[in-house]
Amino acid sequence: MMEQLLATKAEARSLSFYYGDFQALKGISMPVHERQVTALIGPSGCGKSTFLRCFNRMHDLYPGNRYDGQIILQPDNTDLLARSIDPIDVRMRIGMVFQKPNPFPKTVFENVAYGLRVRGERSRRAVEEKVEQALHDAALWDEVKERLHQPAYNLSGGQQQRLCIARALATDPELLLFDEPTSALDPIATASIEELMHDLKKRVTILIVTHNMQQAARVSDFTAYMYLGELVEFGVTDELFIKPQKKQTEDYITGRFG
Amino acid sequence: MHRKHQDVVFALVGIVALMVAVLTFLTLFVNMAVDGLPRLDWHFFTSFPSRRATQAGILSAWVGSTLVMLVTAFFAVPLGVASGIYLEEYARKSWVTDLIEINITNLAGVPSIVYGLLALGLFVYQFGLGQSILSAGLTLALLILPVVIVATREAIRSIPQVIREGSYALGATRWQTVRYHILPYSSAGILTGIIIGMARAIGETAPIITIGALTFIAFLPPAPLKAEPPFVSFDWLMSPFTVMPIQMFNWTSRPEAAFQDNAAAAGFVLVFMTLAMNGLAIWLRYRLRRNIKW
Amino acid sequence: MANEHASKQYDLDLGAIRTRVLQMGGLVESQIRRAIDGLASGDLAALEQVIDDDHRVNAMEVALDGDTSHLIVRRQPAASDLRMIFAIAKTVTDLERIGDEAQKMARMAKAIHERGAAPLPPAVDVRHAAEAAIAMLRRSLDAFARLDCEAAQGVIRDDAGLDAEFRAILRQLITFMMEDPRTISTALEIVWIAKAIERIGDHAKNMAEYVIYIVRGTDVRHTRSPQPGA
Repeated sequence: MMEQLLATKAEARSLSFYYGDFQALKGISMPVHERQVTALIGPSGCGKSTFLRCFNRMHDLYPGNRYDGQIILQPDNTDLLARSIDPIDVRMRIGMVFQKPNPFPKTVFENVAYGLRVRGERSRRAVEEKVEQALHDAALWDEVKERLHQPAYNLSGGQQQRLCIARALATDPELLLFDEPTSALDPIATASIEELMHDLKKRVTILIVTHNMQQAARVSDFTAYMYLGELVEFGVTDELFIKPQKKQTEDYITGRFG
Repeated sequence: MHRKHQDVVFALVGIVALMVAVLTFLTLFVNMAVDGLPRLDWHFFTSFPSRRATQAGILSAWVGSTLVMLVTAFFAVPLGVASGIYLEEYARKSWVTDLIEINITNLAGVPSIVYGLLALGLFVYQFGLGQSILSAGLTLALLILPVVIVATREAIRSIPQVIREGSYALGATRWQTVRYHILPYSSAGILTGIIIGMARAIGETAPIITIGALTFIAFLPPAPLKAEPPFVSFDWLMSPFTVMPIQMFNWTSRPEAAFQDNAAAAGFVLVFMTLAMNGLAIWLRYRLRRNIKW
Repeated sequence: MANEHASKQYDLDLGAIRTRVLQMGGLVESQIRRAIDGLASGDLAALEQVIDDDHRVNAMEVALDGDTSHLIVRRQPAASDLRMIFAIAKTVTDLERIGDEAQKMARMAKAIHERGAAPLPPAVDVRHAAEAAIAMLRRSLDAFARLDCEAAQGVIRDDAGLDAEFRAILRQLITFMMEDPRTISTALEIVWIAKAIERIGDHAKNMAEYVIYIVRGTDVRHTRSPQPGA
């Protein structure tokens, strides 16, 4: 079927994760297909955000966290969780967009240029070109080209979130992580972000956490349902939403949960 | 009705309590102003102390205070800010950092004369810096270090975690995150803390007396700029000195009434300097905060 | 479908729609029965009533379409709920068509009796076929009510028998028409009635297939034989 024809961009292999003594993820194995949108759904506290944050080693920022298992990133077969791998190198390849738009209190331009500056890009022209391209890619250029050097917080919430997407895109990530990217936005802004994801997946692999099942159904090609730190079911989105294989999944997506 | 009555009573009690503080300060200030203002003229700022009260001025005192403050800032700011950043952004939480944290909080409460004793032993004799501007500056730097550290940490803590995560998610190192985000966004709070610390230091008397500042100085420290190469000189650092509060203390211990007026005038200048510094802190905070929103 | 939704109202709404589908099925079934009874008895008033009552079937279809679209808008049903609503929408269409077929039967029966023609012997076989069709309809409605795949598969199998019965009636009528051309008008009307019964069987089979879709999520339409346990 569809699954076998697709290349795998990343793959979790018996991934467990611990916050101190608490085991938040329990042996998760699943693929993330290249240039597809994979959605993670599940009730609050099921570990979907925790799982997402393993992909860019965000947990390394806080003490007491421990990974077990592997996340293999293709094409070079790198285990992102290996001790020998610097989390900074991981984050160089994998972008992230957060729940609440978090532009830096700087100008629109500097927000997008930041990833390039961090990578030591000195050429002014190269930075300008990349910034413009990223803003085009995030469908924001026309709205901000006149005010590139104004503070980013003057933008609307939806624009701020697209700015954060542009910021992540400027450094050409291979995989883009979205952590409930529209939970703070109104329906129109949400629709524009979803539309954007649809365009982006031509070039970049997307992994998205959402607590909105309809959103998962709308934007994703594959869906994973998680519950209490375990992966209950992973499958093609259309199939999962019409005929889930597991009763737990069925109960959750039909609202019989609780 | 009874409950409303309670409200009125408490409001009255509150107003009275507030008035006690405000009125006391006002009375002191006005009293000082009335006594001292007639003495405040150009001559007062440009004259050395003198045995004749009407000819005495605060030149050596305010120059001394300014130079000591420069030294204090030079040492306290980088040390305090660096410590604050290290504790907030770099140090892993452990019992060692907990211990350091408790120590810093306690240091802020140590009486200033204890710092003076420490400085006397360490800077004046051990390091052989003598009863100099450098010794005094270092002493006061030590005194306000905890204030600067605490202010830095508080300012850094007020930066939302999502901003840090946003920076790290783009592949930034800790230093890049500090350099491009933490420092710029916390600078308002840090500056406020520094200035408030300095405002405290400028009025400190006890530790300066302890390290042996002279009370009667009729000369200025060597100038920092010279006509011949290498043009700059740091001789002033080792110079004897006096500061505003000591000058005041000196005058108040004289029997003549005219010297009491001099003390009042100097006190007025000192209070004005302190208030001006606090005002600057408020203004800076307002200016810098305007550009930052989360 | 065993446990309940977190939203009680969702359960109530869905339950109400399913009940109304069964009520519509009951009305349609009585329409067929009265049409076939009318054919036998020649009670013109009763046949007239059947023709008239079709608007009640149509009204129920419209009402149920409204209910299902409201439920879709409000609840965004997924998985088994989605399949249920989808199947209900299609079932309602089939029931409405069965209603039309019953009306058609009543019209033909009325035409035969108004002309005062003597009924042809195959009327007995027609009655038998009609009973079979009614049984299929009832069983598919039961299968829908209980989400019973076995019963639904029985209905699907029985459709072939009804088709055979239709062809037998047709052959018989052709013989009559060849022997006595005066019977042609009546025979043709009976062909129409038989054809309507055969169509009712097809609709009942469709409804049975929707039941299997609801339960198993597999579409068994246009396949030779439903795979058990697929």
